[in-house]
Parts: sequence; structure tokens; C-alpha cells
Amino acid sequence: MAITTADAEPLPDTNGNTTAPGLVPGEASMWFFILGDLLIFGVYFVCYMVYRGEHAGLFLQSQRHLDQGIGMSNTVVLLTSSLFVALGTEAARAGKAARATRLVGIAFACGAVFPILKLVEWLPKLGAGITPGENLFFMFYYLMTGLHLVHVLLGLVILGFVLRSLRSASTPNMKFIETGGIYWHMVDLLWLLLFALFYLIR
Amino acid sequence: MNAYLRNPLTYVWALLTVVTVISWWISQGADGGFQTNRMVTLGVLMIAALKVHLVMRYFMEVRRAPTWLKRTTFGWLMLLFCLLCGFGLAYA
Amino acid sequence: MSESILAANPATREGRPWYRNRKLDQYICFWSVPFFYNLFGLVFVPLSWMMPPRSPTSDIADVIAFMQSPNLLIACTILTLAIGLSAVGNACYMVQMRRMSVSPVFLFAFMAGAIVGAVVGALFPMFCFGLGAFRSGYDPEILQMMYDFGYLSFIGSLGCFVLNWGMLGLAILLDKNNILPKWLGYYVIWQLMTEFFVATVWIAHDGPFAWDGLLAFWFNMVIYVPWQIIVYVCIFRAIRNQPENELRNARFKPGATYA
Repeated sequence: MAITTADAEPLPDTNGNTTAPGLVPGEASMWFFILGDLLIFGVYFVCYMVYRGEHAGLFLQSQRHLDQGIGMSNTVVLLTSSLFVALGTEAARAGKAARATRLVGIAFACGAVFPILKLVEWLPKLGAGITPGENLFFMFYYLMTGLHLVHVLLGLVILGFVLRSLRSASTPNMKFIETGGIYWHMVDLLWLLLFALFYLIR
Repeated sequence: MNAYLRNPLTYVWALLTVVTVISWWISQGADGGFQTNRMVTLGVLMIAALKVHLVMRYFMEVRRAPTWLKRTTFGWLMLLFCLLCGFGLAYA
Repeated sequence: MSESILAANPATREGRPWYRNRKLDQYICFWSVPFFYNLFGLVFVPLSWMMPPRSPTSDIADVIAFMQSPNLLIACTILTLAIGLSAVGNACYMVQMRRMSVSPVFLFAFMAGAIVGAVVGALFPMFCFGLGAFRSGYDPEILQMMYDFGYLSFIGSLGCFVLNWGMLGLAILLDKNNILPKWLGYYVIWQLMTEFFVATVWIAHDGPFAWDGLLAFWFNMVIYVPWQIIVYVCIFRAIRNQPENELRNARFKPGATYA
């Protein structure tokens, strides 16, 4: 880096700040993954809607069995977690590693609530005999929320690595923190759509 | 603490949470829901699209990203929204 | 021809005829792949009409007519002779994975996963279908069972590849030698996600999640086929870019004798 301390730059580029014009936030290859993921989930969402149109009564009856309260709580949990990741990224970019660690730590704790609530939601259902084989709605429901849950668990692992990177390195690896962040926001974004499609539409 | 409260990200989060509650309220409907209702579906989908847009723009920082990424993500959202509305409202 | 001469004088590399190319083994493995996949396609589609998958709810008369078609025996013969080529094709991946800066666990898990997938996904169904043609006079119920067995193992085996491709994807992402591009690692992982949906063929008998369904089969094929081609293109480039001093063939030692 040619930037010296004498430069008047408020945010020196030494910590890999990528908000310069022309560059995507985080690693470009992560965006490749995210766009592909959005495309695949998009196809699943549209398929769900098509089959919903064919079996409107069945889907509506099955939706009664979903727990609106848990769905709402999970939405708020992920939104809050996303907020703290975004705040943490800003703090890390401003060079405040300790504050960033605290914020991402809160985000991780919020995110960890999601799988627990998911189990609270799934286990009584499975116990009552409502399995993926029940009908087409529940096949979609378990598969898509299950695939999303895998994303959440992977996201928690990534957030763990972000925390480790924030704590151990003297200058945080901004590229990596941003990459982990945008992955986590994508997980949030997919849940917003799942929540609307499975719990709310009529 | 005050700095967090003044942060635009916090406003975005507050907006996201409020519209989440609104979409839930719409969905509950007048008579407890669980009737097919195109207006509810349309409202819920519009709010979901708005939320996704906000998450992409502010949290994923697409608003500061190059134009091609802005166009691709927004295009994906619009295409998805149109298809979902089309199939979601067109059932018999 | 010794390593030091090659390093000192790159011109000797240029003048070598193709059959003296030191990567000839890898290129042969590589070019066996299009041959194998085309043969595989011919056997499964126009020869036996096993693919695209028939419906799980087919009429019993249709099942019997299909199971007794004599072409299935020819298909079985060709496939048993050619299945070994899948191992040769997988060797391309494995030689490149060995160059990555990751634990050999990835390589061995990939290898084991590929073997399981090839046996369950190609040989089992072919044998199931071939049995009906081999001896006429099996009960219709038995033929029906073999039909279910054949399709469940063909489509259901896509799940076996989750581990296999997962190992490849992770190895690419964790590798620090940049043997294969990082985006390919992410591409592997989203291809792999669609394979989770195949688990549903054990539950659903019709609709999008049955073994001939939109989401369990067709969408996976749309994602899988271009993906497989792109992976092999990247593998080809990795072979081409591999420096000759990284080839790990044992060195010829003049004067070696049996102890």
C-alpha cells in the first residue's frame, strides 16, 4: 500500500476497505455463490407457488398447523442478528475491533436462537405425526425450511470464524468479515421470503 | 449507544421489524384468516419484496456496489415478485 | 530425460512429440470422460429408454413390457464393461486434489463417495432392469419390485454424491494453492444443494418430488449437466497449468535392481 500516515484519508485502505467504487462488498466469488443460491431458491419459491395454485385448499388447510408466533419470532431474531452483523462490519471498518467483536458476538447469540426455535417448532409437529410425507405442502415446508436451516448452521460457523478473526488479528481482515456478513444477510433475506410464503399468504 | 440509535442501519432495522408485524397483522385478517384472500397475498408479497430490497440495499451494501450488481439483484427480486404474484393470485 | 535439464532448458519441452508428453496419463484420463458420458447417455436413453425416468405410478402392463425389452441385456453388457471408466474419469479430479494444500482426508472421502455413487447409481439399476429380460416368466409383482428398486437406486443415489461433491467443494475453498478457481468451489456447493431434494423420492409417489418429478429430477438435471461440463473444463485447465516438476510419478533410477 502506498498510502502513508501523512495522507488525509479518513479511512486508510490498509485494512482492505472495499467500498471503493467498482468493487463488490466482500469476495467476488461469494457473490457468485449468493446469486446462484438466490436463483435456486427463486425456482423453488416459484414452484411452490405453482403447486399452491393447483392445491389451494390443501395448502391453506395445512398452513393452519404452522405456528405463526414462532415464525414471527424467528423473523425478528434473524433481522436483529443481521443488524448487529452490519453494525459490527461498520465498527471493524472504522478500526474498532473490540466493539466489532462485541457486536458480532451479539449477532451470533441471536442467530443461535433460530435453530432452537426451529426445533421447538418441528419436534411437536413430527411427534404429532405431521411428517414430510403428510402432503405436498409439508414436503415443501420441511424441505425448504430444512435447506434454509442448513444455511443458518453454516452461517453460524462462518460467524464463529469472523469472531475468531476479529479477536486474533491486530488489523481485521475486512474482506473476510464483509464476506461472512453478506452471507449472513442472504440467510436472513431467504427467511423473509420463506416466512411470507409458508406462514402469511392466504 | 446514541451513535447506534442515530445509525441509518438501525432505522432500517426498525422499519423491517414494523413491516413484519404489519404483514402478520394483515395475514390474521378480519375473521381469523385461513380463507383464500388475494388482497392478503398481494399485501404480504409486497411487504416481503420491500423487506428483501432493504436487506439487500442496506445490510448487504448493494447500494454502494457497482451498477451491474445493483441491477442483477433488483432484477432478480422483480422477476421473482412478478412470478410469485402471477402464480399466487391466478389460482382458480 | 532428467528434471534438471527440463528446468534449465524449457525449449526441450516444446520439441517433444505428444506421446512423450509427461502429462499424457492425465490427458488420457481426461479424454475418457466425454467418451464415457456419451456412452452412458446412449445406453440409458436411446438404447434402453430407462431415462428419462418412467412414472412410479405406471400401469403394471407397461412395467412388464419395459422390464422384458431385450435391449436391456445389451445395455447391461455395455455398462458392465464400461463402468470402470468412471474410475478413470474420477482420477482426473483426484490427481488435482492431491496438489491442494488440504488434508488427504478430502481425497480419500471423495474417492470412496465416487465409488459408492457409481455402483449404486449405475450398476444396481441396470442389473435390476436386466433381470426381467434375462428370464421371461418372473411374476409381475417381482418385476414391479425390481422396477421400483432400479429407479430408487438410480435417482436415490444422487444423495450419495452429496458427500463426494461436498468434499471436492470444500477442498477447493480451503486450498491455498489455487489449483481450481474459488468460484468453482461455491458452484459445487450450490449444485450439491439441489441433490438434497432427491431424498424425497423415498416418500413421494407422484408430484414434483417423485423420482420423475420436476424438483427431484428435472431441475437437478438442468443444474447438473452444465455444471459437470464446467467442472471438467476447469479440470482441463488445471492439468494444462500444472508445472511439470509437480508431477508426482516416481523418478526412474538407473541401475535399480531387485534386492
